Amino acid sequence: MSVFARSGQLIALLVLVLFTTHLHASGPLRIAAASDLRYALDDIVDLYRVANPDAAIEVIYGSSGKMTTQIINGAPYDLFFSADISFPERLKAEGLTSTEPSVYALGRIVIWSNTVNAADLTLEDLASDAISRIAIAQPAHAPYGLRAKEAMQSAGVWDAVQRKLVFGENIAHTAQMVESGAAQVGIIALSLARFPDLATHGHHLIDNALHNPLTQGYVVTKRGGDKPEAMAFAAFMATGQAHDIMTRYGFVMPE
Amino acid sequence: MFTLGPAEWQAIEVTFRLCLYTTIILLVLATPLAWWLAKGRSYARVVVQAVVALPLVLPPTVLGFYLLMALGPRGVVGRTLEDLGLHHLAFSFEGILIASVIYSMPFAVQPLTEAFKNLGRRPVEVASSLGAGALDRFRTVIFPLTRGGFVVAATLTFAHTLGEFGVILMLGGSIPGETKVLSVLIYDHAESMNYAAAHSLSLMLLIFAFVTLFIVYSMTRRFRVATL
Amino acid sequence: MIHIQAQLHFGEDFELKVDHELPLEGVTGLFGRSGCGKTTLLRLIAGLERVKGASVRFGDQCWQQGRHFMPLHKRRIGLVFQEHSLLPHLSVQDNLLYGYKRTPADLRRLHPPEVTAMLGLNDLLSRRIDQLSGGQRQRVSLGRALLISPQLLLLDEPMAALDTQTKREIMPFLGRMAAESGVPIIMVSHSPDEIERLADRIVFMQNGRIQRIETLHESLARPDSPLFEDSGAVSVLEGWLGDVGEDGVRPFGPPEARLWVPAPIQIPVNTHIRLRILARDVSLSLVNPEHISIQNHLPVTIERINLPRDNRCVVACRTEDGQLVLAEVTARAVRQLNLEAGTRLYALIKSVALLE
Repeated sequence: MSVFARSGQLIALLVLVLFTTHLHASGPLRIAAASDLRYALDDIVDLYRVANPDAAIEVIYGSSGKMTTQIINGAPYDLFFSADISFPERLKAEGLTSTEPSVYALGRIVIWSNTVNAADLTLEDLASDAISRIAIAQPAHAPYGLRAKEAMQSAGVWDAVQRKLVFGENIAHTAQMVESGAAQVGIIALSLARFPDLATHGHHLIDNALHNPLTQGYVVTKRGGDKPEAMAFAAFMATGQAHDIMTRYGFVMPE
Repeated sequence: MFTLGPAEWQAIEVTFRLCLYTTIILLVLATPLAWWLAKGRSYARVVVQAVVALPLVLPPTVLGFYLLMALGPRGVVGRTLEDLGLHHLAFSFEGILIASVIYSMPFAVQPLTEAFKNLGRRPVEVASSLGAGALDRFRTVIFPLTRGGFVVAATLTFAHTLGEFGVILMLGGSIPGETKVLSVLIYDHAESMNYAAAHSLSLMLLIFAFVTLFIVYSMTRRFRVATL
Repeated sequence: MIHIQAQLHFGEDFELKVDHELPLEGVTGLFGRSGCGKTTLLRLIAGLERVKGASVRFGDQCWQQGRHFMPLHKRRIGLVFQEHSLLPHLSVQDNLLYGYKRTPADLRRLHPPEVTAMLGLNDLLSRRIDQLSGGQRQRVSLGRALLISPQLLLLDEPMAALDTQTKREIMPFLGRMAAESGVPIIMVSHSPDEIERLADRIVFMQNGRIQRIETLHESLARPDSPLFEDSGAVSVLEGWLGDVGEDGVRPFGPPEARLWVPAPIQIPVNTHIRLRILARDVSLSLVNPEHISIQNHLPVTIERINLPRDNRCVVACRTEDGQLVLAEVTARAVRQLNLEAGTRLYALIKSVALLE
């Protein structure tokens, strides 16, 4: 009997220790970002750190839909850079934001491959027998995947490619699927195709008239509202320095 | 090849902390539970045994999903904690610690149950008759005679927690310093096509896992402890 | 006195129901066939079986009553089991001292030097458990139990797992322990031989009930004693062993009821011993025969002649020093010799088993 009592006390103690360690109020600035920003935002954060050497910033990449679900379920993110502004708007509707969602860039999608010359490929070519596996991001929760689907639907090849499709968790995962050879070609973010490692291979820019715009929006979450650093970083994203980097990665700046 | 940056060291630290805490908590929890399970075959015991073994067969996502539902700000546990002025547990180290404890439970409980069954009731009865109370018996008789079971339970728990991925990804996200464990970092590295880093971490885990299992199996030979 | 009251069921077919007081002096044998509930009763007394609604009182201590339950480690009961139960990770010495160290100093009455000497353990102290023979292990178990200076010793078939040779080796130690330690002993056994050697009092159990509690001599005096079921009627004579005489035989008992028994010289003079005599090894003669190989002729008086079974009668005879010797003779012999209660005659004892 007393073994149980003793272990009960031990557990209570452990739980207490756990919760007291969890009571750290402020931590680093945590940014949830869509995967298309993986390289561009890294460069911007590096630049921001030059000006603010003490800034503690962590960036977590994933698909915009998943990040949204995580925030709804309490994930501790202060800033959310989505690939589609509809997600920050949904957070706002849930009462989980402290700023208005606003547009920070427009994204573009491309056909990319490291096995065939993608520069010569068109959407119509994806239906041909020469192409066996096509990677796109999961349309259900990744905006880039949804736009890829729309573009293929507009080009009239969606039905023809059905059996060749493989789905990445997010757009960076999709790019990796192609890069590793798991898929022959992929429809990925221009910002990723511009990343030096991938830019050694050509890409075909998909006409943005074929899909809804990739209006990328950000928002400061309710949690981030207390943090001046969140506002400061959001402001930095609007500077010319940051815009230059974004443009270099193929983003179109709003206005 | 083995150049570890701050992100890697941070993930190693988080992982090690997670594994260590999980192992300690589980040994404390599993010992009385395994003792009770080893004592008989009643209906209640079979039910508990099945519940404990669930993580062996369930996809980690099922556990991750329900834990996220329970521990998040909208879940019963999370909301209660928030009402108490504490933080909810989703996407936190404490959250994935709870998940790991549940997820690795069978790896602690089963070797211990087996060890306690093999021990039988006689040495404990003898120690009682010689005037040893419950804790005294545990310290001087049960533990020394089931040491092998404890070593196996601890190593398996540690190793299995190390290999945890799905539950952590669902419940913890991949927050550096909090929930970004090695397995998640490797996934992250692979996704960002940073193969060199993914490779060195993977190889590290591979070697560690082998050494762990090697220890476990040499223990089972030495102590004749049945494992899973 | 220990008072036990309990009722419990095991499955459909077994029920233990007791409400008895057992006297606590010397050795009490708990005798019955396998499955009669004697081990369960022992575990109930020890507190190893926590039976709802049972009550166990030991002298003026309440061990179990209603919600009150004193755990075994507070009862100060020495336990010895059938199979070896030494703690394998400890040496002989550490096994012996395990309970001794946990006994409060002011309650210690038995100490290691005397116990190790009594049980012949001095040469074994530094051994590992796996270096001991079966008999040595049981001796260490006995010593370990004694060293908690128990209020009560419970022995659960302590010799059942030993071979005959080892049993013979350990029996004297048990006997000496019972006599010298002063600790009341309850011993479970299904062997009449063990009970006759060691017990002063017997609790007979059958089908989960206590049927009768009586002294060994009372039990041996009744013809239907359960002790007789296996090897027929038996008598046990008690007496003092004399000095070694010629031819290796030694005198036993007072001059008026003197027997000559082959006894090893290791047993000291004036040791109180028991002799076990099978009734079928005893013949009766109206005259004291000479020129006969049987050495022991005891003058006795017939007390009772039991009704014949299979044409054989057990004749209960009283010796000159008041002990009972049973002789098994044919009904025909009883008739021809005209035997009846009060007849004085000679019991010719063909062989005896020495129970130290």
